[in-house]
Amino acid sequence: MFEDHHPLREAPHFKELLKRASNQTKFDLLNFSFEGDEKEEDLSLKLQISAYFLSMVHFYRLRAAGWNPDIFAEHSMGIYSALAASEAIGFEEGLFITEAIGRLLKREGAIHPGGMASIIGLPLEEIQKICQDLNGFQLSIANYNGSMHFVLSGEEQGVEKAISLALSRKAISATRLAFNTALHSPSLYSLREEIMEILQDIKVQPLKVPILNHWTVKPLRREEIKDFLSQEIGRPVYWIRCVEKLLQEGFTQFIEVGHETTLTKLMRWIDREAEAFSAGDRLPR
Amino acid sequence: MVESNDHLIEKIKQLIIQRLRLVEMTPEMIETDAPLFGEGLGLDSIDALELVLGLEKEFGVIIPDAEVGKKVFQSVRTMAQYVLEHQGTA
Repeated sequence: MFEDHHPLREAPHFKELLKRASNQTKFDLLNFSFEGDEKEEDLSLKLQISAYFLSMVHFYRLRAAGWNPDIFAEHSMGIYSALAASEAIGFEEGLFITEAIGRLLKREGAIHPGGMASIIGLPLEEIQKICQDLNGFQLSIANYNGSMHFVLSGEEQGVEKAISLALSRKAISATRLAFNTALHSPSLYSLREEIMEILQDIKVQPLKVPILNHWTVKPLRREEIKDFLSQEIGRPVYWIRCVEKLLQEGFTQFIEVGHETTLTKLMRWIDREAEAFSAGDRLPR
Repeated sequence: MVESNDHLIEKIKQLIIQRLRLVEMTPEMIETDAPLFGEGLGLDSIDALELVLGLEKEFGVIIPDAEVGKKVFQSVRTMAQYVLEHQGTA
């Protein structure tokens, strides 16, 4: 995953976190592969573990540079690194939850094949209409990312049909995401008891930095965290709502604590003037 | 108004920098014929929508769908050609 001279390998805590991660999981982050017989079908699981690790490396890198966030907003499975960064759970616990829930999703995907599609360039009403027109494929809106950016979740065949329909209705882009489950759709809501079992030995500590709950747009309370985690894979991500709330509260600088730039780019549609950048884009050269 | 090609190419480069907030870039750093997506400037589909909105606002030209978008957003030159062909027809 990281070539020998990748600048992130020089980041503070990289080696330490890598060592701690390799004691915890059989996933080899440097080679992006599992030890033993796990095969390519684990792509989404691999991506989830990698994204967690990268978020944490970037978080420690930013913190070592003197950055002190006032609040965290989280998108989808970003909740696990947000919880670890706020010290509500430890780094290893976050990794454990990421992998355990990832494996649960993998199992679910094998039983009920599903998928996700990112659709760009159509407004909410059009997206809702696509879900209605494909009634019967259990399609639902999984992510409200921006006024013209939504993610749909549902049965595999329905997702493919939604992509064709979106393109025929003038979407600028409609593509499959690397998930074989209908993440953030009601069909996964039934997993909440199993997720609670995964979390049973985790002791949630007081949060050092608040995390915004995107359903209530209030800070997530310590006592509701397990419940939130058990439900969030079966409920949509209201990213726009989250960012709008932060803007209303007077926040002016937004930093994407990860390796990608998607959330940073989405800021352009919510508030063009807000300062936003991704940690992955500001690596030392 | 039909613009001269060089002037239009410069304006499109500025539009890309401004709309995509490529703060560290100047128009000279964008090659007119280099691919905008993937290997070239490294843009993605979120950027594409931003450029669709930018072209509409700045030049009044409409990219009707993904198929046309793919052809138009090959390079700065193909964007300029599309603007020249469609400006004033929307």
